[in-house]
Amino acid sequence: MGKWTEQQKTPLADRSLEVCDLIELEGVPISLELEDNTSFLERMFSDSSDFVLRKFQLKNSVHAIAIFVDGLISTNEVNEALKTLMVLEDGSDQIGVIEEALLPVSQISRVQDYKGLLQAVLSGDTGIIVEGNREALTLGIRGADTRSVNEPEGEAVVRGPREGFIENIRTNTSMVRRKLKTPRLKMKSLVVGRKSNTNIVVAFLDGVANSELVDEVTHRISRIEIDAVLESGYVESLIQDNEYSPFPQVMYTERPDTVAAALLEGRVAIFVDGSPMVLLVPTTFWMMLQASEDYYERFQMATVVRWLRYMFLLISLMTPALYVAVTTFHQHMLPTTLLLSIAAAREAIPFPAIVEALIMEIAFEALREAGVRLPKTVGQAVSILGALVVGQAAVEAGIVSAPMVIVVSITGIASFTAPHFNAAITIRLLRFPLMIIASLLGIYGILIGLLVIVGHMASLRSFGIPYLSPVAPMSVGDLKDVLIRAPWTELENRPSFLGVEQARRIGPEFLQKYHRAEEESQNKEAKERERYDE
Amino acid sequence: MNNRRNRKGLTRYCLLVSIVSILLSGCWDRREVNDIAIVIAMSVDKEEDGKYRLGVQIPLVSSMGSLSGGGGGTSGNESFYVDSAVGKTLHEARAILQTRMSRILYFAHYRVVVIGSEVARSGFSKPFDIISRYPENRLTSYVVMTKGKAIDLLNAHPHFERFSGEAIRELIKAVTIPVSIKDMAQMNITPGIDTFLPVFDPVNTQPKGDSKEIEGTGIAVFRGDKLIKIYKRSEVAGIRWFQSYFNPFSFVIEMDDSGPISAMVLKGHAVVKPMIRQGRIHFDIQLYASVFIPETLSPLDFNDKSTFNEVERRLAEKITKKVDFILNESKKHRVDPTGLGLTFAKRYPKLWEQKYKKRWEKELPHITFQIHSKVQVTNIGQTTNSLMKEGL
Repeated sequence: MGKWTEQQKTPLADRSLEVCDLIELEGVPISLELEDNTSFLERMFSDSSDFVLRKFQLKNSVHAIAIFVDGLISTNEVNEALKTLMVLEDGSDQIGVIEEALLPVSQISRVQDYKGLLQAVLSGDTGIIVEGNREALTLGIRGADTRSVNEPEGEAVVRGPREGFIENIRTNTSMVRRKLKTPRLKMKSLVVGRKSNTNIVVAFLDGVANSELVDEVTHRISRIEIDAVLESGYVESLIQDNEYSPFPQVMYTERPDTVAAALLEGRVAIFVDGSPMVLLVPTTFWMMLQASEDYYERFQMATVVRWLRYMFLLISLMTPALYVAVTTFHQHMLPTTLLLSIAAAREAIPFPAIVEALIMEIAFEALREAGVRLPKTVGQAVSILGALVVGQAAVEAGIVSAPMVIVVSITGIASFTAPHFNAAITIRLLRFPLMIIASLLGIYGILIGLLVIVGHMASLRSFGIPYLSPVAPMSVGDLKDVLIRAPWTELENRPSFLGVEQARRIGPEFLQKYHRAEEESQNKEAKERERYDE
Repeated sequence: MNNRRNRKGLTRYCLLVSIVSILLSGCWDRREVNDIAIVIAMSVDKEEDGKYRLGVQIPLVSSMGSLSGGGGGTSGNESFYVDSAVGKTLHEARAILQTRMSRILYFAHYRVVVIGSEVARSGFSKPFDIISRYPENRLTSYVVMTKGKAIDLLNAHPHFERFSGEAIRELIKAVTIPVSIKDMAQMNITPGIDTFLPVFDPVNTQPKGDSKEIEGTGIAVFRGDKLIKIYKRSEVAGIRWFQSYFNPFSFVIEMDDSGPISAMVLKGHAVVKPMIRQGRIHFDIQLYASVFIPETLSPLDFNDKSTFNEVERRLAEKITKKVDFILNESKKHRVDPTGLGLTFAKRYPKLWEQKYKKRWEKELPHITFQIHSKVQVTNIGQTTNSLMKEGL
């Protein structure tokens, strides 16, 4: 630190460039002499072929430079801006006048030091330094190529918006802003990463989200010291409560509507530049099992689907373990005919049930991984081979039994019913230890395993909120959005366990009117029926 | 810092749990499905020298036709085999059997226990002791008796099922009054009701006997654990009314000169009212039945109210006769499978306890009863008159 403060006083020309990350340029002033600035920048960006330093003269012959990174700017618009300065406007060389009167650029700001200047330029702005000025201008004329907004691939829905986040943070925040057009939607900006200088936006609804929670999130992010943040996963693992738990304590989503809904529940969203995944905190386990579509579909259907997910979560966690336990310890638990079929199928199998189960489960995991990672053109070959490996051929070769294939298939299907991938991955991981303990101790072992898992989950916290809430600790009023998906007229309050500051979601007067209207229409119908009967 | 402490705690916790669980080695008896011989049916016979013969029926899973191409040894088309051994106790017999089996005998899946007539005559309690003691047992398995050697019933080859054990089980549920081990034990130890078991025998297919099928031939009644009498199939109908589980059954009535009518009793139950009449125990028995007429060889017109009533009356008469027969037999042999004593005990608990509990068997011949039957013909088929008859 001492070295940096010392350096700040030294003139630009004599500065050493040994430590020259942005953070060390804090407070380094822009020189009055244009020559100093030019040589300093040229030294700093030597061997940087994409860095452009354009010298030009204002119309009144004052020297100036424009700096930008090729590829991050919109060339035409920068040309337009330079044209106004060089050709059209005959005016002052004062930076304030240029900003306010001369440059027809909507996003423009003044910076005092090199840190601000270079951060803007490296993010895609164009910097302009004019001779004799202590301040520089940054023009926000960005034009880097970005992917267009697509349907989110990881979280597809049948009913609901089809837009997903992209890698550009501004586009992402704008997508949420478009859903919540209120000044109370706050977006705090932070920069993390000494080398990457990644922009991070902490979004929350002022007046809804607990302010302590917002402070805690901001605090945890701003204290991160790391060289680069390449994906939101970095931030996730650096702010989560328990690094060693297999359970994800921070949820991510690529759907703007999910983010908006979470904000409305009083959660905090973390946007990370360069990642199409937005983090949501605090996270509870049940969030992982809810899809945005639950709230768009009819509530009966959503409730049934939720229970289906809970059931299949257990199935994907326990089926192989149960199969192993029952066939090696508890044969009396099966119906006789089923036991005979299993015995007949297993007759020629050389391995014990646990080995068989491990072979198949690992083969399945490998197939899944290969399917995700392989280029699309090879994908088909993998699925054909996969069907042979985890299927008929393996059974006919007498290596695995047919019931085991069924067990693995059910487990596979079940694990894909979880709407969020990271929850599914955790469950898939946990079923291996469960399988092994089941092969040693039977169902007793499975129960021990489940106890440890549930105990661990109950001890987890995400930003102070218990992981299993509102089930444990129980918060009865909030269960109607976990055990069932109550109709919207019943979901009049936000979940209370998050400590929200403004509870009501639906106006009480509307509800009264709504119920009255319902009653009236029923009465009317009854009256009409009476009249008809007469 | 916090994390590290957490991790340490978790590791310690896991270690503790695994050590404790290994000490509690209740489940440490791992055996693969292909290491066990699943006993599907069991037979108990008494040999002349007083020893017991334990017979087991074991499916040959390798020849049951699975997809596994590797295939185990095949032994013709047999889907099961039966073996037996003799021992002073059943467990000794089991141990002897085990010495010639490459797989562990596994008793948790037997569906029926067959006892031979010798065991029935000399008392079934002793050989059945092991069933309440040995953990690998199902109290829900059915018990049947056979008139000859029990093992012959296991050796029969019914065509429909792959194993005769399975066939017996299905037959028990379909045609007779099912008695599980639990029921048998309850009837055996409850005063006021006597044990009965369905009787099954191997019979040849008719008219050309080329294979052995299994047939339900009646009901055996025991006093205590010893066989007293076997009712024929046509006689057991009277017992059915006193069971909580009623299997539909058929019989034929003759209408005076018009021809026989088949009747199928779909539902039936009895309401027994015990009372003391002139110092004697009297039972007032009301029988209810709903009957389906599947066939008639008589020209009767069921649309005629009086004919219909007449048929119902005849049916009631017949049913009364059947129950009457059983109860008279009970009095004669002093064994009661219908549980009249139990009904009495529920109505007059004190009197039963003081006076009759000990000597119910002696009191039985002196009881009186009166039977009223009420029959409702609920269904006479799809046409009201015979299609073969004119006047349609």
